This record gives sequence, structure tokens and C-alpha cells, in this order.
Amino acid sequence: MSSRTRGAVTIVGAGVATPLGLDLDSFWTALCTGVDGISGIERFRVDDLRVGRGGEIKKLRAPRHGRLPRCRASALLTLAADDLRTRTPLTADPARVAVVVGTALGGVEEGERALAGRGARAAAAALYDSPAHTLARALGARGPVVTVSTACASGATALGVGADLLAADAADLVVAGGYDVLCRFVMRGFDALRSLTRERVRPFDRRRSGLLLGEAAALVLMARDADAPRVRLGRLLGHASSSDGSHVAAPDPEGRGLAHAVRGALTAAGVGGDAVDFVSAHGTGTPLNDKIETAVLRRVLGARAAAVPVNSIKGALGHTMGAAATLEAIMCLLASRDGVVPGTAGYEEADPACDLDVSGAARAARPRVSLSTSLGFGGCNAALVVEGSA
Amino acid sequence: MTRVLGVGLLSGWGEGVAALPADARGAAGARRVVPAATPALSGERFRRATRECLLGVAAVDAALRDSGLERAAVAGPRTALVYATAAAYGASNRAFVVSESASAEQRGGLYFPYTAPSSVPAEVAIEYGLTGGYVILVGGPVAGVDALWQASTLLAAGRADLALVLAVETFDECEELWSRGRWTTPRPLVETAACAVLAGDGRELGYGAAVGASTLETLASRRAGETLACAPLVALALARAAGTPRARVTGTWRGRSAQIALAT
Repeated sequence: MSSRTRGAVTIVGAGVATPLGLDLDSFWTALCTGVDGISGIERFRVDDLRVGRGGEIKKLRAPRHGRLPRCRASALLTLAADDLRTRTPLTADPARVAVVVGTALGGVEEGERALAGRGARAAAAALYDSPAHTLARALGARGPVVTVSTACASGATALGVGADLLAADAADLVVAGGYDVLCRFVMRGFDALRSLTRERVRPFDRRRSGLLLGEAAALVLMARDADAPRVRLGRLLGHASSSDGSHVAAPDPEGRGLAHAVRGALTAAGVGGDAVDFVSAHGTGTPLNDKIETAVLRRVLGARAAAVPVNSIKGALGHTMGAAATLEAIMCLLASRDGVVPGTAGYEEADPACDLDVSGAARAARPRVSLSTSLGFGGCNAALVVEGSA
Repeated sequence: MTRVLGVGLLSGWGEGVAALPADARGAAGARRVVPAATPALSGERFRRATRECLLGVAAVDAALRDSGLERAAVAGPRTALVYATAAAYGASNRAFVVSESASAEQRGGLYFPYTAPSSVPAEVAIEYGLTGGYVILVGGPVAGVDALWQASTLLAAGRADLALVLAVETFDECEELWSRGRWTTPRPLVETAACAVLAGDGRELGYGAAVGASTLETLASRRAGETLACAPLVALALARAAGTPRARVTGTWRGRSAQIALAT
């Protein structure tokens, strides 16, 4: 495709903090070798909930740069940023460095503390945009600081907004990504909705029965193609978002909004469905989500849909909400770099309603152009088209 | 250039610019929060909707009236919806947290998805059939400016023919928390829902860091009080009321500032 693809930006590097590892290498190795990041939740009370398991990070490490904030959301972002900076220095005028992060829950755990009457600081931290500002301070970034909250599509929307900031010349470097923490608030909520499975998470499997939640932070460093260093992870070719306009919580049963977002991202990327080598699906493992995504991919990719490798990483670490889409975009680029597509943990039995090319095991493939899809409460849909550097 | 076709404004002072006092601080007296009346929207569909959702729906209705547009004109995939708020999820988050310790009778029926900021634009999208570009930003006045920029970006990219920029702020249920926050200014916190309808080619936005507050920002603050993410839209409403052909709106939040220029 043309290097002049409208709005394309370089993804220079990435950093993560996940239940599979607190740095990019350990996350990637665990993902490719089938490590299970799901465990019993220990950090807060779950004994009165139907489900008490999730992708919990058991122990945080001390960052190489600065100190770990007390707020867990900010702490996860700090660790992801620390990992990012280990490999990728931020070499730009601080006033031209932007921070764009997506979250479904923001500082809601701090909100719980604030309501318990624990001071003004907790009240300030309860605002959903607080972790982004904490991250910007830690990075010394003095450009735009944007918090996106398109629910579980936030990590994709954030990368899109970051690309838009670069295209508008509102920044020279953008640290973009997403985060969310496992806390009692969100566990109670999803438990009440009966969305959580008591079994294993099995995206696209015939026996799939629901999702499990996880916590993570994931960040990428983005720059305009012309300004980016030679060593890079890949490029964000196109992005798009859409609204279902059908229900506050459930996805549109026909997947019309998601299809619109996917087509928009492909158009922005200047490619057709025939260029897609790999799909990182939202793949929550709920009966409805995976069926809808399958139908959308079949419509958008046409006859090729059954032959394009598809995976979901949510079986391995749970649904990390605001971090999920960024992690998945990073995974696409690492797959391209190393020629390995991670398996879909939990996938064993094919479902005729999800007749895509899904594998439970990692497989050799070197996708050049990947599509990542995301959905969230509020009828939020987002799609990213990324290109690996390999 | 991005053009503002109309602005709908509901606030604790009433509907529209005409309802704003000359001096919000004086008009608020000792009140820390000036609550907005909950719009009376009928229909089974709204049975679970929160107050902030109803305010959002009503603000869009007011914006369409001001723009002279029918509902059908915005329905479908060619209208983008960009939503901004700093605080409008606070009431539902609080209700959900408090429900844990409440008795079964007092627990109420808050549906968990309404705790997400996305519930407000979701109700708007459902009500008006919006299926286009969709971005939700969280923050104070800067998020309001960023939302205007995002909408303009979607117009400039040809991804939308019209864009609704909606902002909603509610404070009443969390007044005690706001009183603890150091960002609470001497000005009153005024609950507001505002929506601007944008069209045009999205170019020449003048988007970037602001050097000082614009005249409109100062005026909006003086007349409306502290409306956080709604403030830039209040400024647009004031500019339109004054017949200003081009408006530079600014915002400041947590030590950062932003500005954008639009044709009004």
C-alpha cells in the first residue's frame, strides 16, 4: 500500500503490564506458550460473588523510572510506561508529547475510597481522567492529555485519537493506550449481569459460556512516519469508530455498528478486506459477542473469512477492558515481527456459528496487515488496521 | 471550516442563553451546586435511564431545534457523536457503590451499564438513531475543546456530514465529594447539558494549546458558572447569541489549556 495512506502513523514501541507478565517480552512469551493468566482474585473480597476469578496481577514491581503511585490504575500505567521507556526513549520537546489513554473504569476504585470518606486526594483521583494526568506528569509530557472512555473499546479509540493528534500536528510524539484494574466495583457489576463464566473462557468455542475480567495497562509510542526512528514495531494504517444506537449494554444483534467501524478503518487504511492477513477479534467468549463478530467478519472479509487466521487473547488473561484493544494491537505487531500467531486459549471445539479459522494453539504465520476489532458498553465499536514492520 | 449550525443549552439556570444570569456567582448565593431540572421524557425505553442520560437527550433535542434540523436529518451513519464529561458518571458510580451496603429495599434498580460514561451518548444514539463515528472523552473544559476538534476531524476526513458534540455535567449527588476537591472554585458548579451541531469541511480549526483564556471563556464562566466540559459549548451558545461570526473557544483543566476556532 502507499506510504501516503491517509493518517497512517508509526508505532515505534510498546510497553505493557499484564497478568501474563509485567513487560513486553514476558507477556509475549507467555501468550505464545499458552500460559494461563487466570487465577482466584485475592486483592479484594469476592466470596459473595458468583465468580471470583480473573486475570489479576499478583505483585507489582518497582519501576525503573520514578516511583509507583498508590492508585492501582496509575500504578499499572506507570509500569507499562516504564517498560516502554526501557526500549524506546521519548526524544521530543516535552510540550510536543501527548498522552492519550483509554479506560472503562478510570479511577473508580479511588471513588469507592473517596465515598468511604478518605480525604480530598481520593476524591480527585476518582475522576476518570486522573490516571492520564498522573502518567503525563511521570513522563514529563506537557502536550495534550486526553482520556477516552468508549468502554471496552477504549484502547482502540485512544490509538485513533492519538493518530489524529499527530495528523493534526498537535503533537510530535504520542503515548497512547489503555488500562483498567480489577476491583470490586466492576466484579460486582459483571457478576450482577451474569456475564462471567464459572468455567474456562472459551472464545469462539461451542461450549463458551461467558467472560472473565482481567487487569492490565498497555501503551504504544506513536510518531508521524517521517519523524519515526528506523527501528519500529509497525504502523497504524487506519482506524474508525461507530455507535450501535441500539442498546446501552448489548451489542447490535446484526453487528451493523461493528461492520461500519471495520469498513471505515479499512477505508482509512486504503486497503480492502482482501489485504487482511490476520484478525485479532474482541472475542470475549460470550455466546452473543463471538457469534456477532463471526457474522461481521464473514460480511466484511467475504469468502476469505474462513481462511484468515483469527484469535482472541481473552482466554489467556481475561477481558482487560480499557487495555484490551491496545494489547491486541501490540499482539498483532509482535505476531508480524516473530512470525507466530498466538493461539486462542480455551478454544477446543468448533462452533458452526463461529466458522472462522481459530486455533487453540499458536501457529506459524507472519501477518503483514492485521485487523483488530473492539466493542463496549454504550454501543461502542472501534476497529484498527495495523501493519507489521517485518 | 467547521460551522456551528446550532447549540442546545440546558443548565441549572434554565434553558438557553437567555436563562443565564449576568453574574453566576452572585445568583448562586451560598449554593455550591446549582442543579438542573430533570427533563420529563416519557416512554418505557427511558425507565432505567439516569438523570444525566435524560439531560443529554434533551440537550440534543434543543440543539436540533436551534439548528432547524429534523431528527431524520441526523439519523444514520453519516452523523458522528462526540461526547465529553468530567463528572457525569459520578452520580451513577456513587449509587452503585452505595447500593452494596444498602438494604434490599433501599438498593434500587441501577442497571450496571449505566455506571459507564458511555451510557449517556448511548441513550442519545438510540434515541436519534445515530450510528456514525463515536468518541467519548473525559475531562474538564479541555475535553470540551478536544471534543469539538475530534468532531471537526471526523468532518474533515469525510467520515461524517454532521457531528453532534454533546457535553453533560451533573454534580448534585456528589456535592460532598466536590466540596473536598481542591479544584472546586469559588464559582458555583452548575449542572449543564449542551450540544452543538457541526457541519463543514473541518479545516482551519486553530486547534492547539491556548495562550490565555478567550473572552468567550471568561464570559461563559461569569454567566454560567463552572460547567466543566460543557463550558466551551456554553461559549459557543453565547457567541451565536451575540452574532459573532467566528468564535475562539478555550478551556483550562488541570494545568493544561486548549483552544479551537469555529464559524458560528
